[in-house]
This record gives sequence, structure tokens and C-alpha cells, in this order.
Amino acid sequence: MHSAPSLPATSWLSGLSRQRIVTAIVLGIVVGLMLNPIFITPLLELMARTVVLSLLLMLAYTMAGNWRQGRVPVWVVQLITVCLAAPLGTFAVYVASTGGDLAAFLGNEYRIAGFAWIAGTAIGVGVLFALGAMVREREALAQAQRLQFELERTTLERQALDAQLRMLRAQIEPHFLFNTLANVQALVESGSPRAAPVLSSLIAYLRAAMPKLRADDGTLGDELQLVRAYLELMHLRMPDRLEIALDVPTPLQRVRFPSMAVLTLVENAVRHGIDPSERGGRIEVGARRDGDTLRVWVADSGVGLDPSAVPGLGLANLRQRLSALYGTAGRLELSEAPGGGLRAEIAIPAAAETP
Amino acid sequence: MSRTPTALLADDEPLLREHLATLLGRLWPELEVVAQARNGREAVELFERHAPDVAFLDIHMPGVNGVEAARAIGRRAQVVFVTAYDQYAVQAFEQGAIDYVVKPFDAQRLEDTVQRLRERFERAPAPAAGSADGGAALDPAVDALPQGRPAGLQWIKASVGNSVRLIPVEQVHYLRADEKYTLVAWEGGEALIRRSIRELADELDPQRFVQIHRSTIVNLHQVQQVIRGPNETAEVQLKGRPELLSVSRSYLHLFRQM
Repeated sequence: MHSAPSLPATSWLSGLSRQRIVTAIVLGIVVGLMLNPIFITPLLELMARTVVLSLLLMLAYTMAGNWRQGRVPVWVVQLITVCLAAPLGTFAVYVASTGGDLAAFLGNEYRIAGFAWIAGTAIGVGVLFALGAMVREREALAQAQRLQFELERTTLERQALDAQLRMLRAQIEPHFLFNTLANVQALVESGSPRAAPVLSSLIAYLRAAMPKLRADDGTLGDELQLVRAYLELMHLRMPDRLEIALDVPTPLQRVRFPSMAVLTLVENAVRHGIDPSERGGRIEVGARRDGDTLRVWVADSGVGLDPSAVPGLGLANLRQRLSALYGTAGRLELSEAPGGGLRAEIAIPAAAETP
Repeated sequence: MSRTPTALLADDEPLLREHLATLLGRLWPELEVVAQARNGREAVELFERHAPDVAFLDIHMPGVNGVEAARAIGRRAQVVFVTAYDQYAVQAFEQGAIDYVVKPFDAQRLEDTVQRLRERFERAPAPAAGSADGGAALDPAVDALPQGRPAGLQWIKASVGNSVRLIPVEQVHYLRADEKYTLVAWEGGEALIRRSIRELADELDPQRFVQIHRSTIVNLHQVQQVIRGPNETAEVQLKGRPELLSVSRSYLHLFRQM
């Protein structure tokens, strides 16, 4: 088993940092010093009370922040907790300091006054610092989100680059190349006049499929030429098994389009749809503008997709490139073609000037 | 006694069949090509009908491939494999002691093959007819071919609008039973499919898909966080989704600290 997230062990105290503890202690000392002039209690004893109280309030604040419930906003819970914990905590500290003798505490008006002073100060200072801590937490959260976002952006960029590189590296399959060359050889040796156009198709395909240093994208028309060259080669190789229909409206051919995207789908249609079938089938390539979306599809009437077929790298790479280029607006969707076979559709945002 | 040697050619690419026939005609004029097949099934059928001495079989053919056809033919003929660059096929030849030629053809190499076939033919003009048990020699070769190893369900079919979408399982966030149907929630939306969650649970890769509730299966790769609640309960939140899926007590152990 892997990647199963685990629960944090000390969820009630999460967020309790050394910094918080130090802040609470310093705060307790400072408040103790400030209250000293009006108290007859020795300074050290007074400071002990304020420091303990300060730590108590900080703990209450932290635990309130970890209380998972959906009804009241966390910050409200934290403020109420601090306001309640201040008098209760002070009371507890006083009772503790008199050795648990409640009557001794209640009967001493100096102690009552001291209690009121400390509780009042605790509420005031506690609320102030609680608000301060909330602002800092929120800033830290925003900072973390900024970093997270930045990280995701660079990750996406890197993935897009990786996908691009993999695509460039993985393009020309030796099996395809040698089989096609064998066909060219057959045509040349038999003196067929078809040899020259077939060689042109092969050259066009190889030129486009070769790794380029500048891998910038061309137009849908460029892509279609590459697809046509590839399909003509395949039609030469399996004339009785492959039918081709390319239909992309001329205005759409001027649109910029990620290179090799349609070719990847067409190669898949041949390899997984038509080639395994004894009777072969038909491959259709089409495109249409649909509101703000440009849709380009490749449909075949081949053997269709086996639900247990492991998805190829080609499709995964293409998906990654589309989402890196267009975010969620760049999609690749597969569906069953009406008469069996597979239909793959790329959707990208249509630029405003697209006809 | 002299008899005309006969041959069967099988390749799904017609130009290559013709080309091989032409080359063989030049290198071995006495050889008579009695049949040409477009796939492995046809090759076996035509072999049964014509019983040729030699069978040239392309490895990569639709339906029944060349290695499978060779197994059906067994030792009743001399089998020569024909293939384009294909690492698995080459591996297969290395295990079965059978000759092979690669495409595009090298005339010299093909001549060597023809020479070897002629020698065998002259030594034993009629190969042991009727013994189909020679397939055993090929078995290791067949085993070396890449087999479709079942790796669990990889695609889920779901009706969306009026098309049947194929959803790669890695995009699936979770599945939830909904009476006779199952709700599939994935990156691209949600859909009801007509299969029970138990059926799907059996077919999905258990390394990736785990049941967290009688009616819920989640994709572990899509889990964002697990929130523990009071009294031994927990909820799972998935990446980019607002809903919380509850984990029932009997499945809670899946998310304990490891």
C-alpha cells in the first residue's frame, strides 16, 4: 500500500509551536511587571500567576483552533474561548494559590480585587493577542498558498516540457519505419511509378516527426498535412483494409494548434483500431468550431477499446500537454464511435479571431 | 524422384507479399507459390488446403499472428518468419530454431535462407507429413511474445449525453453505489453506469482503488486529505472536490499511520 495519507497524531495541539510558548511566557512576565505597582503580592508570585494564566489562555486558544465543527467560524470559537478562559483560568490560579481554600479566597477583598484586575487584563490582552495571532496565521496561510500555487505552476511547466520532450523522442516507431521502407523498396524494385509520390509522403512525415530544436506549434493545416502524409503511407501498406476521410473546413486550418496532437490520435487509431482487425476499417478526421471551443476529432471503425487495455503513453502525454497549454479548457475525450470503434476528440479554446 | 517445391506466403501488406513472391521467383525459380494469405487465420486455412513445403509467415498480422499460425502448422512445413524490426519477434526466433528474414529484404540474406531451404528440401523432399506435434519446439518462442497481462480495469464506459465515454480509471475520483447503478465521479464530470459497485471493485486495481464504505470506492491517487472525526470516524477529501466521503469503521484501518 502506498500514498494513503495518515492522520496527524496530536490533532488537538497542532499549531502549538515553540514560538507560541515563548510569546506566552514573555507576555505573562510583562503583564506581571505592569500589574506589580497596584498589587501587594510579591512580584515573583504575581509573575508566576500571570505566566501560568498566559500559558493556559494560549493552550485554550490553540485547542479551540483545532476544534473541527462546521457551524461556527473558527475565529469566533477562539475569541469566545479566550474570553471564557480568562476569568476561569484566573479563578483557578487564585484557588490554587490559596491551596484550594475557596473560603479564604472569597473572604479576602484584596484577593477579589486582584482577581478582577488580573482577569480583566487577561481578557483585554488575551483578545488583543488572539486577534494578532489570527492575522499572522492568515498571512502565513496566504503565504503558504502562494508558495503552493507557485510550486504547482512550475510543476505544470516542467510537466509540459517533459511531455514535449517525450513526444519528440518517442515519435518514429522503428516498426513503422522499416515496414514502410520495405514497401518503398518493393515499389522501387518493381519500377512502379508510385514510388516517387510514396517517397515524398515518407519524407514529409519524417521531416515533421523528427525532433525539432524549436518545437513551437504550427497551424491545424500543417498538422493535417502531416496526418495526410502518414495516412497515405498506411493506405499504401494496407490498401484493402484502410479507408480515409479528412474533412476540416479551410478557415479552421489557419488556427494555431499543438503540433503532433492529431497525428498521435491517428496513429493510435491505426495501431489499436484498424491494424488488429482482419477486415480493417475507416478513419475520419474532422474539426468544428463550437462557440468558444475548437473541436478536432479522429474516429475509427476498428476493433474498439478493450476496457482492460493499459492506456498508452501517447495519450497521457497529449493530455498533459493540453492541460499545460490550456488548463482545464484543453481536454482529450474518448468515446465509443457509433458503429463500434473509437472516437477521440480534442477540445481547446478557440481564439477570438478564429472564423 | 523430383517434385516441385511449393510455398505459402502470408503477410497483411499486399505489396510486400508480391515483392517476396518476385524475389523468390528470381532466387528459386523452381519454387511454386501456391497460396498467399492476408492474415494468420487465412494462412492456416490455405496451409491445410495446399500443404506446401515452405511457409513464409509475417509475424505481425491481424487476428492470428505469424507465431500462432506457425504453431498450428507445426513440423508439417519449413517455417520462415518474415518481420520488420521487432525486438520481441527477434527474441522469439532465438528460442525457436527457425530461420527468419527481416524487412526491408536484403537480397543476400534472402539467398542464404533459400539456400538452406533447398538443402533441406533435397535431403528430405517430403517433410514428415501429418505430424502436427512439432508445435512444442515453438512454445518457448510463443511464451516470449508480449502477452496481454490482465492489469485490471483501465477504462470505464459511461453514457454521457448520447455518447458512450471511455474514462481512463486514473481520472476517476470515486465511485458510489446508487441502487442498481454506480455513480462515477471523475475529472470531467459525473455519470451513472449500469454496473454494481461490487462488480467494479473486483475488476479495479486494488493497489489504487480502495473501498472506504459499503457504497464507496475511492482512487487513492486522488486523495487530498483524510480528516479524523470523533468516535473512530473519518472523512476523505479528494483533490479538487468539495464533498467529504465518510469512511466506515471497518475500513478505517486503511488510513492508520503506517
